[in-house]
Amino acid sequence: MEKRRPVFFNLLQIQLPVGALTSITHRITGLLLALGIPMSVYLLDQSLQGPQSYAQITSLLDHWSMRGAAILFAWALAHHALAGVRHLLSDIDIGTQLPAARRSAWIVNLGGVALALVAAGAWL
Amino acid sequence: MRRTVTGLRAWLLQRATAVYMLVFLIFFLLHFILDRPRSYAAWHGWMSAPGVSIAACVFFAALLLHAWVGVRDVFMDYVRPAALRVCALALLFLGLSATAAWVLRIFLVRSG
Amino acid sequence: MKLSISRYNPERDEKPYMQDYEIAPGPQDRMLLDVILRLKAQDDSLTIRKSCREGVCGSDAININGRNGLACITKIADLKEPVVLRPLPSFPIIRDLVVDMTGFFKQYHSIKPYLINDDPAPERERLQSPAQRELLNGSYECILCACCTSQCPSFWWNPDKFVGPAGLLQAHRFIVDSRDQARQERLDDLNDAYRLFRCRTIMNCTEVCPKGLAPSRAIEQIRLLMVTDFL
Repeated sequence: MEKRRPVFFNLLQIQLPVGALTSITHRITGLLLALGIPMSVYLLDQSLQGPQSYAQITSLLDHWSMRGAAILFAWALAHHALAGVRHLLSDIDIGTQLPAARRSAWIVNLGGVALALVAAGAWL
Repeated sequence: MRRTVTGLRAWLLQRATAVYMLVFLIFFLLHFILDRPRSYAAWHGWMSAPGVSIAACVFFAALLLHAWVGVRDVFMDYVRPAALRVCALALLFLGLSATAAWVLRIFLVRSG
Repeated sequence: MKLSISRYNPERDEKPYMQDYEIAPGPQDRMLLDVILRLKAQDDSLTIRKSCREGVCGSDAININGRNGLACITKIADLKEPVVLRPLPSFPIIRDLVVDMTGFFKQYHSIKPYLINDDPAPERERLQSPAQRELLNGSYECILCACCTSQCPSFWWNPDKFVGPAGLLQAHRFIVDSRDQARQERLDDLNDAYRLFRCRTIMNCTEVCPKGLAPSRAIEQIRLLMVTDFL
């Protein structure tokens, strides 16, 4: 009778290289963006319905919680798009060697935050 | 299931839709930075222009297809029991189809 | 130097536990394996696979301070203490630092890691130009240590369906070999939702490969070949 063998699988104790951080954040931001699709379509719908609903939407977006959500969304979009560009480039063999890959991972991670701060500056 | 080229087709679709969305997003952002619409009339007028509304429609098609491939990948990684995964994918498909119908309604009815 | 090593004896222990050690490395000790073998003199129940002690057999692949590597070519001077040694992630632990590699090798064998050429054998050898031979560089050097595959999240989630970086690197080695005649079959075999396409180019594989290989790049190359065939 064989009992099941244990495995070492504590994610907190396994190293997360910078590229892996970029990758898991790419996935998380993708999911956030996907969850934001219904809301975005709703806002688009309302904004095109007529002058009153357009005005309602613009004042809704002025509320601090919506602005906060918009900045979060901007970060998600920025990171997801930058990481996506990194993927597209590695698909055509640009930046596939380790040093370049690490550099581009840093650029994506920091670039996403930078773009979110730009958006925050523009909207706050 | 092996010979149905699902792997490559899904991957190509994800890349192609990504490229289109990137280009659209850049144009969209540039327009908003350089010449943002300041009234309902300006906004509605811009979105109704044939070029813009068609490009935006295609953008949503690309977005929903891209989301399908992406979220499906997430389910395939984390939802191991097959029956549960099929249910999750079915719900995803329904959600995205409903969104597609909603978007079509917006572009056909609202910005006419 | 201080170490903390994962111990597990299936006949005695319910589950693995960490055991602390303290030892002075010998004057000639440079590599982690040297220290581990010195520890074995203290505690000979400590179990690890090892053979060549020079980084070519792949036996002593373990998780060192969270990152997979070969103990025999990991310099102790580069290690932060306490040095935490664990077995390769996600592989069943047989004992201490020794893991069950069955699943890993199953995926490797599934890509048919041998030359497929039905032409009658020539008098001397199947010839290949230097340029054709160069295409194998970066793929043939794999020592099947499993550092890459056991650090790959996509392999963690689907070890039975995703081939994994090592297997795919070897698939690449045969796909680009000019003497192989089964290129189309190899590409078709990998072209389903799981075998190759679970790869998300996370690049953990390339990060940890102790031989400096780039399985993620090989996988991208295979994808490009699939695309050019498709279009």
